[in-house]
Amino acid sequence: MLIRPNREDLRLIGYNLGRILVVVAVAGLLPLTWALIAGESAPAASFLLMIGISAALGYLMMQRPPQTTRLDWSHGMVVVSLTWLIVPAIGAIPLELSGHYGSFIDPYFDAMSGLTTSGLALIQDLDHLATSLNFWRHLLHFLGGQGIVIAVLSVFAGGGAMTLYYGEARDDQIFPSVRSTARFIWLVSAVHGAFGIVALSAVGYFVLGFRPFRAIFHGVTIFMAAFDTGGFAPQSSSVGYYHSAAFEAVTAVLMIAGALSFGLHFALWRGRRQVVDNLEVRTILTTFLGTLLLTLGGLASAGLYQSLFGLTRQGLFQVLSAHSGTGFATIPSTELASWGGLAFGGIAIAMALGGMASSTAGGVKSLRVGLTIKALSSQVRQVLLPEGAVISTRYWHHGWKQLNPGLIQAVMGVSLLYVALYVLGTGVGLMYHLPLGSALFESVSAGANVGLSVGVVDPTMPFFLKLTYIFAMWAGRLEFVAIFSLVGFVFSLVRGK
Amino acid sequence: MMRRVALTGIVIILQVLMPGEARAATDVTVAALLVDGAVYDGQTISVVGELIGDYGFRRDGSAWSQLNGDTYATAPLLEGGRPNGANVGIGVRVPAAIIEDLDPPGDYHRRGPLVRATGTWRYHDEDRGGETYLDAVNLEVLEQGREFDETAEPAVVAAGASLLVLALWFGYRIRKRSAG
Repeated sequence: MLIRPNREDLRLIGYNLGRILVVVAVAGLLPLTWALIAGESAPAASFLLMIGISAALGYLMMQRPPQTTRLDWSHGMVVVSLTWLIVPAIGAIPLELSGHYGSFIDPYFDAMSGLTTSGLALIQDLDHLATSLNFWRHLLHFLGGQGIVIAVLSVFAGGGAMTLYYGEARDDQIFPSVRSTARFIWLVSAVHGAFGIVALSAVGYFVLGFRPFRAIFHGVTIFMAAFDTGGFAPQSSSVGYYHSAAFEAVTAVLMIAGALSFGLHFALWRGRRQVVDNLEVRTILTTFLGTLLLTLGGLASAGLYQSLFGLTRQGLFQVLSAHSGTGFATIPSTELASWGGLAFGGIAIAMALGGMASSTAGGVKSLRVGLTIKALSSQVRQVLLPEGAVISTRYWHHGWKQLNPGLIQAVMGVSLLYVALYVLGTGVGLMYHLPLGSALFESVSAGANVGLSVGVVDPTMPFFLKLTYIFAMWAGRLEFVAIFSLVGFVFSLVRGK
Repeated sequence: MMRRVALTGIVIILQVLMPGEARAATDVTVAALLVDGAVYDGQTISVVGELIGDYGFRRDGSAWSQLNGDTYATAPLLEGGRPNGANVGIGVRVPAAIIEDLDPPGDYHRRGPLVRATGTWRYHDEDRGGETYLDAVNLEVLEQGREFDETAEPAVVAAGASLLVLALWFGYRIRKRSAG
């Protein structure tokens, strides 16, 4: 029998949502300050409005606190899934007021894309966008990549924090306390931020010859998009804008760092040597090399690049961007669309597989791919061995673990859901008469939170296709469980007793 | 037939002998270059657009910028233009001396100079790791850059400030209650 949630349940969910909205309001002070310093008065006003709405709504929801602030599993999941629907709506306010969008759904699309670190964009005339708004788009990447709920957990501890943590599709608990783990994630980001911003700004100033403020602006925005595997860029031609192998190299290092799980960061920081045994590391290296060879082979056979340096530089950057789930490009979408064949396939597969679990990357994730391969090889061995033979399969992921049927079922289930999500988006694309390749590419890009595009994602695309991609970005980022919990919660509100 | 071959030969010889900037350049739009860049590889072309983003002055004496050939150069959003799709731009490399005296490039506060850039279109340039860009030798300024006026909407400021006061009052109530 379904139990209808009572007022106390709703109050508990509302209270926690309120806390998250207050943190979003505080985050809004950063672009507001930026706008005031840069003399961008219209964007400053729009940030003030966003902060006002977010803070007022947040504190309003906290007015009637629940008897206990301890969240159980379902409450936590509902809070997370609602957070990832409401925060983009709040974040879209300054974007909507910028005048750079043609339809009300477009800024919401971009805010969802920013928060889920997808990087697909419907913004128009990006090159004339206020720097503070550009900063806000990238800050959305940073907040979403870290996990907006992680931000809240770092500030407020509280009962049931674990459910919020897992709800955001993280399963590496590095320290016994979720709050300590959340703080470690911020520490890793801060260290990479210091290195990344300094390195990118230095390249911008010394190599590219930008003015100091502009060099820092590019450094800050590209760092947030690269480390959080987002894909937004401050200029319309993405990383191709810089025409610099040195800038691409620093960006590539940050994309790799972003695609690594925070658990692996912890292991590397501690100097632990088990990295080589790690199933996830082995899997991601294998799939990366495989998709890179496919792409380079495709580009070489098509004769698109005459020099080996050109071929490897362009191919490597695009594959790395796709596999890490970042979505930066050094070539225009029209050119990516013309790649075709093996190269196109290599990029699409890299996007679909994605980075590591508990990283800022999207996609199926290397751990699931590795476990699926292990499970399949175990099944094959079972068939080949005499009946009754017992096969034990172990794998290394922060310690030796046994592969068991429950785990295999869970891994296969989520992997299949990703495939279903990609197929759903492709189907909707086909409904609008997109070519199969383009429909599939764009759907995978949205569902795996990548952001590479062959030109389908455009302000003129049909409304329902925009909605489909918004759903794909949301579902892909949260890895389905929180969304099913929300659906179940709404169903029990209506049909429960 | 022979006459056509001879004429073509003369044209080719003239193209080689004449200084780059003086050669007849084909007028091309930025959009055409993005769709069919390979077709124009190695050709001398002229492209009209707004210089935008940055002027990056490199140590080799060149400067890089972006040339946008979209409608926002002639109908900027801050001057009442309507959103009309994403930007359409290409990278441009020019000798630094040419760009030094130009108005600043376009950004939020200004429309950059509208120029006709003439030079060689380099598609997947081997010498630059497969990059694609216009290697310009001449920039003809068609229209100088200009500053935009932008002001905050008083209604937006008032609404934001009112909501912020309301939020502070809500926050104060929560604090008072938890202290009590």
